[in-house]
This record gives sequence, C-alpha cells and structure tokens, in this order.
Amino acid sequence: MTPKPLTAVAVAGAALLVRRALRRRIRVSPLWPMPALAEPVSGRPRSRALRLLVTARHEIAEGVVRLRLEGRDLPRWEPGAHLDLVLPSGLVRQYSLCGDPRDTSSYTVATRLVTDGRGGSREVHEQVREGMEVEVRGPRNRFPLVEAPSYVFVAGGIGITPILPMLRALPEGAEWRLLYAGRTRASMPFLEEVEKLGGENRGRVTVVEGRPGLDALLMNLPEGAAVYCCGPEGLMAAVQERVPHVRVERFAARTVRDGDPFEVELRRTGRVVTVAADSTVLAAVRAELPNTLYSCEQGFCGTCQQRVLAGEVEHRDELLTDAERDDSMLICVSRARSERLVLDM
Amino acid sequence: MSNKPEGRPDERVTLKARKVSFSWEGTPLHWVPGDPFATHTINVLHLLLPAGERWFVHVYRQVLPYIRDERLREDVIGFIGQEAMHSQAHDEVLPHLREQGLDPTPYTAQVDWFFEKLLGDRTLPPGRARRWWLMERVALIAAIEHYTAFLGDWVLNAEELDRRGADPTMLDLLRWHGAEEVEHRSVAFDLFTHLDGGYRRRVRTWATAFAALVFLWQRGTRFFMENDPTLTDGRASFKDFYVRGRRGTLPATGDLLRSVPRYLSRAYHPSREGSTEQAVAYLASSPAALAAEEGAS
Repeated sequence: MTPKPLTAVAVAGAALLVRRALRRRIRVSPLWPMPALAEPVSGRPRSRALRLLVTARHEIAEGVVRLRLEGRDLPRWEPGAHLDLVLPSGLVRQYSLCGDPRDTSSYTVATRLVTDGRGGSREVHEQVREGMEVEVRGPRNRFPLVEAPSYVFVAGGIGITPILPMLRALPEGAEWRLLYAGRTRASMPFLEEVEKLGGENRGRVTVVEGRPGLDALLMNLPEGAAVYCCGPEGLMAAVQERVPHVRVERFAARTVRDGDPFEVELRRTGRVVTVAADSTVLAAVRAELPNTLYSCEQGFCGTCQQRVLAGEVEHRDELLTDAERDDSMLICVSRARSERLVLDM
Repeated sequence: MSNKPEGRPDERVTLKARKVSFSWEGTPLHWVPGDPFATHTINVLHLLLPAGERWFVHVYRQVLPYIRDERLREDVIGFIGQEAMHSQAHDEVLPHLREQGLDPTPYTAQVDWFFEKLLGDRTLPPGRARRWWLMERVALIAAIEHYTAFLGDWVLNAEELDRRGADPTMLDLLRWHGAEEVEHRSVAFDLFTHLDGGYRRRVRTWATAFAALVFLWQRGTRFFMENDPTLTDGRASFKDFYVRGRRGTLPATGDLLRSVPRYLSRAYHPSREGSTEQAVAYLASSPAALAAEEGAS
C-alpha cells in the first residue's frame, strides 16, 4: 500500500516542525534534556602529576640539600604536608614541604643524604640539578597542625622540615617548646631560623648535639598539649614510649612485605585472619574471600580499597587522599599500626 | 555452544594495572595542531571514560560472585584494575582543560548522572529482576568494549596523528589506554557469554549502547566546539567527521559501520579484532608504561 500524497506531506511537514523546535530548544540550552548529577564526580582527580622546574639547589647543612621547585598555580598546602617526588629512575619518595604555604609558585623541600638508605636520597643528591624538571604529586598532609592550648615539638635532624612551617604558622603568643637534636650543629638544617623563631623566650628552643634527654621535656606536659615528633625511628619510639598520643611523621619504607604481624577482623564475614610479618592484608583476606578485588599490589591503582571500621592504619599507598585515609585503606600495601584492624568485608 | 568461544588463540596475557603518570602542563588546547574538531572529538573520551569506567568497575564488583570459572575470575579482576587506572588517568586531563578556559563540568555532571543514576543500581526486588538488570548491564559493557577495542586498535595505528605533530603526551595516554583495551578486549565478552550469552540480549544491548555512544559523542563534540574559548564560531557536523575519517585523524566512517555486523555476527569473538601482539609491543615501548616498569623494579 502506498501512502496518500497528503499524508506524506503532512508527515514530512510535522517532522520539519519538530526538527525546528528541537533545534531552537537546543540553541537556548545546549545541554538539554539530560539532568546533571548534583555533586559531579568526574574531573576531580585525587592528586595530579605536576612537572616542576628545579630552580635552586643549595647545601644548607652537612649532607642536607634544599631544592626549590617552581611551577604555576600550585595547589595550596598546610604546615606538616609532604610531597611525593617522582625521581628520574621512577622511585617515589616523600619529602616534607618546608617553604612558605602561601607561595603558590614554588615548593621547597630539603633532603638528607642517607648513604645506606633505599637509594632515594642518593638519587636526589647525585642526579637532581638546577634546571632539571621533576615530577611531583600531592601535596598531602598526614601530620596536620591541630589547635591546642600548647605545643611540644621534638625534631631529630632532617625531621625539622615538617615542623618548621608549623612554628612559623603558630600565632604570636602561642605557647610552644621545641627540642631539636642532631649529630652536630653543622649537620642540622634551618638551625639559625629555628633559634630566631624561639625569640627572646629562653628555654623555648633547646638544641642538643647527640642523644637528647627527653624526660625533662616530656614528663611534665601541660594539660592538653599537642606533641609532635619527626626524626629517626629510635627518637620517635622513645617519644612514643613516654607520650603515647604523640603525633609522628614517619616516611616508612614502602616495601610491601615488612612489618609486625597483626590480626584483621572481617566484620561482615565474621572471621578473623592473621597477617604474618612478611605477608599482606590482601593475601590474608584473599585466602578467605577469593572475590576480593586487587590489581597493582603496589598501592597506586586503588582497586583494593576497603573501609576500615576500627584500628589504626599505617598507610603505605601513594593514592588515597587524607579524607579517604580517615576511614579506608589499600589492603595490598598498608598495614596496621595497632594490633587489630576491623574491615567492612 | 555459546559458552566456548571459538577461535581464541593461545595469546593469553595476565592483566595487570600499570602505573602511569602523565603531566599536562605542556599540552596545548588543540593538541592535534590546527584541527580543533579532531582534537575535541577525541577529547570527548576524557568526558565519558572517567564516569563510564567507574561504572564498569561498579557493575563488575557485583558480578564476581556469579563467576564459576577461575581463569575468567582472574581476568575480570585484572580488567577491573586496568579500568580503574584508565578512569584516573583521564580524570587528570579535565582540570587541564579547565585551566585553558574550557570547563567540562556542565557536560561531565550529566555523564555522571547517566552512569550513576540512569544506569546505576535501581531499587529492585532481589532475585530475578535484580539479576536481569545486572545481566543487561554486563551485556551493555560487552558491547561498549567492542567499541573501546575498535578505538584502541585505531589509535595504535593512527600514524596520521604522528605525521601532523599531535602532542606526544596525549598520544601516549591514548595509546597506552588503547593498548590495554586491546589487551583485555575479550574479557567483557567472555564474561557475558559465561553468564548469559543470549543472542537477543546481545543485539538489544548493542543497539542501546551504539545509540547512546553516538548520542553522547556528538553532543560532547558540539559542547567542546561551542565552548572552546579560541573559536568564534565553533560548529560540529557529520561532514567534518567523515572528512577527518578519510584523512586518518579520526576513525573512518566506513570502518565504523563495518564493525557493526561483525559484533552482531553469531560467530563473533573479540580475539579476532585487533592484535594483542601490537598492543603488548606498544606497552613495552610506551614512555608512561616504561616509567611504571622502572618504578616498580
């Protein structure tokens, strides 16, 4: 059956009208007619890779090099924050920011050469030169300055770097004390500035060469004092022994299998697994739950992220934001700082 | 039997997320020099993929308990890891576009709605209805992956882009992604055949996926062309697409059309599309993937 000419003309005319109406509608609001998600998710990466130019490199103390990295419109940061530096070999290392947080055109980091270390500092000292570009991620802060009636800081050597911006940021008149220890005065970076920050108030800054005595400083803490410590493992352990609630900044070795054994409770499954010193949470969980997701096993892809219901996590990943770290972890690399973790699995 | 995909050569590779990192400071707005239309048509990928691949991961997480084949389970887990990395890598391009005066948020907020709400988990009674919606989405992903593999294969071979001096970082992102899409191109289809494999469902979801892709893509290109701050009269038309397809800076319309009956053929299996060898070879030489290997060792 062939359509009547009149019907054909009517249909074609109607189609033309609809097309015109649609075009006009789209011209008025080009993204009509799809609704939008109230809180968009896309285009908000957790951290962005930035290429920054090394514009200055100074040896500011024995074995300590300070780098100035320049870029444009750099993300802001708060005292205590650190940067992931992607070294030319692909190694990723964290360095505390020790410049001015208000400066959005450059970051400053300082690093000490550790000859028997994991190779990161050696690479910075031997290969990173002025005029070179380096890749960074972050900044991130897992050592934030909280509001407190008074502060006590303990820094060992290069551990002064996250604490220095805190001292600068404290309001005038704030009550604080700092114990700064190092092998020799010549090996301690930012010594002059730290002593100047102490000002007229004698006893505010104590500089110690060699092993510091901690008892005098830590045994009679003022009520509600916030205690911060960054430095060699031995120093942080000694402070932690005297003040369990101390905030420490630890740049842990990013090896996957290395640590103390601990237990993981899988709350939804109702089972408890033990993570051996040389194993990972992922391996222990996968033995119980074979459908557990994972991929890179190095803490960068985020596939194995799980919600943490209780316990203290030692984050060893390179991906999660500070907010995400409050209640979740990447189980392929991160471990427990407490004896037991409770996961929502 | 539909469960046993034929013609699957023994080229199985273990799927693993590769750690890549791209920094965009040096990439110009029109990274295919002098060709905003080709640039923006490819840029639409950055609009669709972050939300789309997050959705893949979301759906596949729910599917895992249904898989009864250990090898396939491993493949699906590897697929999820790679897709998660893709979505992160493309997400990082969007702030760069914003800095250059082309804010994609109005569009991506809609794509977010599309994948999170329209194609999200609906309030369905457990049992048949819920399983039906899950299988429908698994089939949709298989159809979309046919096209991601097609595009991956295209970009790996798009020498015209090199000849015209396209930005090397952007090309590396696209080819790293494309190569991984070619590498895991069989997973989504194998999963679909393993769980359901119904031919009517395959056709139905193909039609939906194809229509949605065409709709979203032309819309995205128009959006970019109209909002590009450097173009006074930015327009997009099908003719522009056809011409660049002939030139080789975009997929050829003919190739695109010819891929349709291939997917709808009852004998279809993705292992016959593209070449794993070429994909693995690219990944072995990609600057970003190479840096990842070194970082891992």
